[in-house]
This record gives sequence, C-alpha cells and structure tokens, in this order.
Amino acid sequence: MVLTIIGHPISTCTRRVKTVLIEKGVDYKLQTIDWANGEHKSEAHLQKQPFGQVPVLIDEDGFTLFESRAITRYIAAKYANQGTKLLPDPSDLKAVALLEQAASIEQADFDPYASGIAYEKVFYPRRGIPTDEKRLQQHIDTLNAKLDGYERILSKQKYLAGDELTVVDLWHLPYAEMSEKFAPQVWESHPKVNAWYKALKERPSWIKANEG
Amino acid sequence: MVLIIIGHPVSTCTRRVKTALYEKGVEFNLQVIDWPGGEHRTEAHLQKQPFGQVPVLIEEDGFILYESRAIGRYIAAKYANQGTKLLPDPSDLKAVALFEQAASVELADFDPPASGLAYEKIIKPRTGLTTDEKRVQTLNQTLNSKLDGYERILSKHKYLAGEELTLVDLFHLPYAATTELLAPELYESHPKVHAWYKELKERPSWKKANEGL
Repeated sequence: MVLTIIGHPISTCTRRVKTVLIEKGVDYKLQTIDWANGEHKSEAHLQKQPFGQVPVLIDEDGFTLFESRAITRYIAAKYANQGTKLLPDPSDLKAVALLEQAASIEQADFDPYASGIAYEKVFYPRRGIPTDEKRLQQHIDTLNAKLDGYERILSKQKYLAGDELTVVDLWHLPYAEMSEKFAPQVWESHPKVNAWYKALKERPSWIKANEG
Repeated sequence: MVLIIIGHPVSTCTRRVKTALYEKGVEFNLQVIDWPGGEHRTEAHLQKQPFGQVPVLIEEDGFILYESRAIGRYIAAKYANQGTKLLPDPSDLKAVALFEQAASVELADFDPPASGLAYEKIIKPRTGLTTDEKRVQTLNQTLNSKLDGYERILSKHKYLAGEELTLVDLFHLPYAATTELLAPELYESHPKVHAWYKELKERPSWKKANEGL
C-alpha cells in the first residue's frame, strides 16, 4: 500500500503537502475527497479527521495523520536522508528553536491574514457568501504590517529560520500566492519578502504540486 | 545572568511561557515591558522581536527567541530531563507526528476563534473600541464547532496528543480560561473538553503563572 493523501487537487493545504512530498522524492497516491457531496462531513471521514477537513495522510502501515503542517513535518523527518533537507539537525537545540520560532510566526502572524484574504475573495464567494470588504481591508492592512516584521527577518538571513531553506518557508506558498494575487502592493512594498517568495514559487516542487 | 523573559504579567502569551517554565522547574527573571509607554514599538525591542510583540526569551548566553510556543518548546527540550515530561521522545516519529498534529490544531482551529473572542469582548472595551456583536456570534459558532472536533479527540484519549500530557495541552490554557468565562455554555456542552480543561487549570504551574492577577 503506497502512502495515501486524502485531499483535493485545488486545496491549498493539500498542495502544501504535495510540495513537500515532491521535495523529498516520496511516492504517494492522491485520493480525491468528494467535497461537493459532503464526504468530508461523513462519519467515515470524521473518524480520520475530527474537524471534517483535508488533507489526511494514511501511511503505508495505516498510520493516520492530519494537519498539513504536521504531515509535512512527519515526511521531512521520516525521509530526512533523501531529497531536499527541510529540517535542522534535531540535536541542535538552538537551530530547532529558530525553526519553531519561524513555524509559530507562519501560523500566528501570516496565515490568518493571508488566508483571510483568500477566504473573502475566493472561498466565501464560491459558497455564495459575499465578500466583506471591511474585513478584507483589515486582513490586507494587518498582513502589510506583519510583512514589516518579515522584511526585518529576511534582511538578516536568507530564509525564515536562518540561512537554509526549511519546511516553514514552503508552508507559506499556498496563501502567499493567493494574497499576492489580490494584494500585490503588500508584497511589492516589501522587497526582501517579495524576492524570497518569488524564488520559492519557482521551485519545481511547487510548480508540480499545482499541475492540473 | 539568569534566563530572562521580556513580557508582562497580564499577557496571555507571557503566562503561557511562565506555565512551561514552572512545570520544568526553571528559574527565570520577568523583565516587564513598558507597554503603555510603547516600549514594544521601539527600535531596541524590534531588533529582538521584529513584530513588536512579547514575550521574548533571552538565554543566559544571550540567545534570543520569541513566539511563546517556540519558547515553550525550547524550554521543554533543553530541560527534558527535569520537571514534568512535556514532549514525546524525539526518536519516536509517530509520537512526534501526533504531537505536531495537536500543536497545529491548537494554532489553526482553537486559537483564532478563542483569541478572537478575547479580543472582541475584553481587549476592545479596554482600549475604547466597540465590540462587534455580529463577529462575536460568528466566533462563538466557530469555536463551538471546533470543540466538536476536540470532543471527538478527547473521547479517544486523555490528552490532545495521546494518553500523556504534553506542552500542547498547556498552550490552550490562556485562551481556554478566557473563553470558558465568556462562553461557559460552549464548554458545558462538550463534557470531555470541559473535564480536560478543568483538570489543566488546577495545575500549580498555571495557578502560579496567574498569581497576583
């Protein structure tokens, strides 16, 4: 049984996982969830993912794991010795701490606002909910302020956890892409951040994860 | 030079870090930031914490670290052999994965609606802004549905990453405490979650982190 990802080709979080699998050169099978017919809310799915979300990893031995960032961390650790190095040496406590600092920044300071823009401009309208223009502007303004912090960091070092690429840089890609599409000025006004993002999005793994 | 935490006694994130330090029995010195005086926005502070936030850890050798969850993880790893065990064995890939699953759930599913409610109902009035009651309703609904997921998890095992307490359970305390006061019905309607939270809040480390408040 090959490693399975239950997800959807267009899902941001599924593409986050696909990117890391491709970076590590790990074979997998994408099992497309029937979102339109509510498969994610079925009891069978809730047994695997109690919040009714995707992606879910089912490893070759049946081990089940959800949360795209946890899945990517697991893949990066399990396949530490192949593909791109995406995690620091676990015995280097300070390097690990700086990875965790970057990981926390991504989830606490970047994701809510970047994904918020995506929700207001794409996901809510797709569900028939109109864009809340005031809320959208709040997300844009906050993201802009947060990218000031990112600009400081990326003026001192090449990537978010130091001078080497890690999984955390890659986590940003799905919502960096969507927020850059709808609020390009926020990115353009932060040159180091913009350059960091532009280099990441050229990675073959991201291009491949978005194929089709 | 003892370990320093730059923070504030009332800050949720500072208390998150203090709790972990007490669990591990690690001495520290709390350097109180002058928040009303805007110290967090000074160049000196932004050099340490580029987002203008607290807490910040300054290690005995000068190593600087921010983000309360990263600080908690670093303390738990550095002092793995003393105090309460708060992390899985790093060589157990699956236990680590389940810990990371729980950690991601806390940040992605719990913290946004819970901290959002704290912001609307407590911070806004304190800073002279008006609570957006429509937003409060949405946040209540979101938190309620997320706690359905938590109820499923805590019906299968005692803590969020498995049968043992980890740092991730403790990460929840500041905003669980606030939201349980603001919306007790959300917790009462999720009995496993309620029991889990009530036990956590009795921990001496949490009580000590809140002393004087």
